[in-house]
Order: sequence, then structure tokens, then C-alpha cells
Amino acid sequence: MAAGDKQPVVRVEGLTMEFHGIKALDDVGFCLGRGEFLSLFGPNGAGKTTLLKILGFLLKPTAGHVWMNGQEPDTRNGNARKEIGLVSHNSLLYDDLTVMENLEFYASLYGIVNPGERIEALLGRVVLYRQRHLMVKILSRGMQQRLSIARSLLNEPSLLLLDEPYGGLDPSASAMLTSHLKELRDQARTIIMVTHDLTRGLEVASKVGILSRGKLVFLQNTDGINPENLSDHYHRHLEVH
Amino acid sequence: MGAFVGLIKKDLTVALRRKETFVSMVFFAILILFIMNMAIGMGEKISPDMAAGILWVAVLFSSISGLGSTFSMEKTNRCIDGLLISPVHSATVFLAKMTVNLAFLSLAEMIIVPLFLVLYGNHVQSLHLSLLLIILLLNLGLTSIGTLISGITAGSRRNDVLLPILLFPVITPLIAFTIKATGALFAGAPFQEYAPWLKLTAAFALIFSTAGYFLFEHVLREN
Repeated sequence: MAAGDKQPVVRVEGLTMEFHGIKALDDVGFCLGRGEFLSLFGPNGAGKTTLLKILGFLLKPTAGHVWMNGQEPDTRNGNARKEIGLVSHNSLLYDDLTVMENLEFYASLYGIVNPGERIEALLGRVVLYRQRHLMVKILSRGMQQRLSIARSLLNEPSLLLLDEPYGGLDPSASAMLTSHLKELRDQARTIIMVTHDLTRGLEVASKVGILSRGKLVFLQNTDGINPENLSDHYHRHLEVH
Repeated sequence: MGAFVGLIKKDLTVALRRKETFVSMVFFAILILFIMNMAIGMGEKISPDMAAGILWVAVLFSSISGLGSTFSMEKTNRCIDGLLISPVHSATVFLAKMTVNLAFLSLAEMIIVPLFLVLYGNHVQSLHLSLLLIILLLNLGLTSIGTLISGITAGSRRNDVLLPILLFPVITPLIAFTIKATGALFAGAPFQEYAPWLKLTAAFALIFSTAGYFLFEHVLREN
């Protein structure tokens, strides 16, 4: 947590989600302060995406609580949603709109008046300014993912959720994404990323967690953790659970 | 208001760039009008009610194509999640989608209705400006229930099959009221005679617009 900033950006307690009697999440709890970057690992079906969907108000949990900046958000109120940004393996971008048109559309959803300057600054940061008049459908997967990051930052969210952002990226696009994520981490943004990729997840994170069958079985700061012992932790916890 | 305008602008831009939605709407209606005209034959007389039926069946089938594509753009790249995670109210999304459907249906009717009058004009004994009121009320009813049901079927892989199956039974009373009103108008009846049918059509449009406004939150979340 950043010095002098004691209020957690997100606090989760007893989060449980059941689908037809099967627990996708089971009593999950953690707390993240400003500038913390949590990488969550786990096999398919561990509940990683379900957790992100709950934090993004796309799903209502069966039980448990989420506090954002010290308050339990009222999801019927749109203001709570302004605090969230989402980057997923789906780009959430319209193929038949240009880069600029996509960002202008999302800016209108967030009530951003005169978004031109902010959009241009974001496009500069993700190195897409020259492509601003190109249709999204002709961009490469890596460019689309960078545009997704720009889209998710339009509303200056307190919490950024990343759902398998490396999905479908080639090594050079992955390296570029890692550099953008490090940049975001250094800007003291609070980020939760779910991924299968232990090495890349560890590279950018300040905290790592392992979800197995809906339970958060491991949560630790990254100090002293390297890819080898993280891999040991990962396989040991999956065997136990 | 900004979100409402933004949603309409986005939907119109995407639909105009894809083109196929509007083209298929108009093409389908033209096909029905020509086939029915050939089936009736030259010199044969049909009742004003039947002429009205042909017009609105052509419009109904043409609208299916437009309504079916309402949410197709939101399914690609899971753009629907972008709407759900944003602070925009679901009712605003419903109203914007309904407005765009209304615009495309009205645009298609600007081609369909004049063509109908050319092909079937000899079966129409009287034409009055109140036809515009009938068209407006039908369009409001059709797009309100159509937008709601296309939202319900959007999550299905067989959206194109499911939409007419769910829509046709619900929309039948609206089409029947409209045919009765238009038939009376074509027969030269005074406005007071078909006004009750128009009131029923307006009530239908009002009920389903209100239902869509309040239920769309649940409809979107099911996707």
C-alpha cells in the first residue's frame, strides 16, 4: 500500500458464488491498497473469471461483501461502475468502428464531456495515435489489446480488472503488454489480473494468489518469490485441494 | 443524454457500414409484395382488409431482419460486457436500441409503402393522412416488443430462429388491430370508425415500451 494511504481500494470478505449448487467461489477474502497489483493464478474452472465478474458488477455473489474505497457499492447506482475498468481476452471493441470512434463511444457512456484530449493522450500512451482512424477489425490482436487498455482507462478507474489479457498474443505483443502493465503499476493503480501464465503474472505483480476450486488457497507479497518457487507453490496447492 | 446519443450514433454508424441489415429488410418486403401481386393476378379485386394484410405482413417480415441484428454487434467481442460494466442505465440502452430500430423500420417503409400503393393502388378505395398515424403506432409497438424480445434471444446461438418463434405470437394482436384500422381506412370509413383499433394499437405500444424500459436490466444481464 502506498505510504500514507491506509484506505484499501478493494476489500473482499466471504465471497461465495454458487451455480446450481456448485460453488464457483468459496469464502474468498482479500484486501488491496492503492497501487497494489494482484496476479491471481489457477486452473480452468478455479473461479478466477467469476471473481472478476463479481468485482465488475457483472454478477451478484450468493454471499459475501465487496467494499470499494471503504464503501459497499450500490450497483444500481452508475457511479459505482465508474470506479471499474475491465480488460478481458475479448476486446469489448466494435469491429466496424474506428479506434477513435470506439473510444468516443465509451467516453459517452461514462459521461466524459469533450473527451478528445484524454483520448489522444491515451492513444499516445498505448502507441496507437497513428492508427486512430483505422477500423478495429484491421488491427492486429496486440493492437486491439492495447486499445482495450486505453478503453479501460478512459474513466480513470480506481480498480482495473484484467481477465487473461495475454490470451492470443504473440511473444512480441505479450512483451509490449507487459511493459504497459508495468507502466500502469508504476502509476499507483490498483490492478487485479487473472492469468495462467505464472512467469508473466509474477513479473508485473506486487502480490500473487492461487485460486483452486473456488478457494483462495495462497496469497502473498511477491518479495522473495521467483518463478521456480511460485511454480512449486502452485502445483503443491493444486494437489492438496 | 450523452450516453443515449452515443448509443444511437454507434448503432447507426455500425449498421450503415454493414449495410446488409437495411438491404435485406427492403429486399424481403419487395419480394413479398411482388409475389402476392402475381398470386392475385391482373384484374382481380381483393378486399381493403386483404390489401392491408398484405402490406403489414410485408412490413412484419421485413422488420424481423432488422430486429434480429439489434444485438448481433454487441455479441461480437463481447461488447455487451462493455455496456454492462459501464454506468449507463439499461433503460437507456433499451430506448436507444428501440429508436434505432424505429428509424430503420420507418426508412424501409418509405420504400415499402409507396411500392405497395403502386402495386395494389386499385384495391385501395380511399387514402388519408391518418395512414401515417397507423404506421407510427404500428412501428412503436413493433419496435418496443421487438427490441425486448431480440434482447431476450440475443444470448442464444440460434437467435435468428428463436426471435420469430417468440415474436410472432406476441405481435399477432398488434398486426390484427393495424390490419383492421388500415382496412377501414382503405375502404373509405370515417376516422371514428377505426379510432378504437388505433387506441388498442397505442395501448399495445405503451405497454411494451414500459415493460421494455423496466425489464431490460434483467434481459441484458442474462446475456
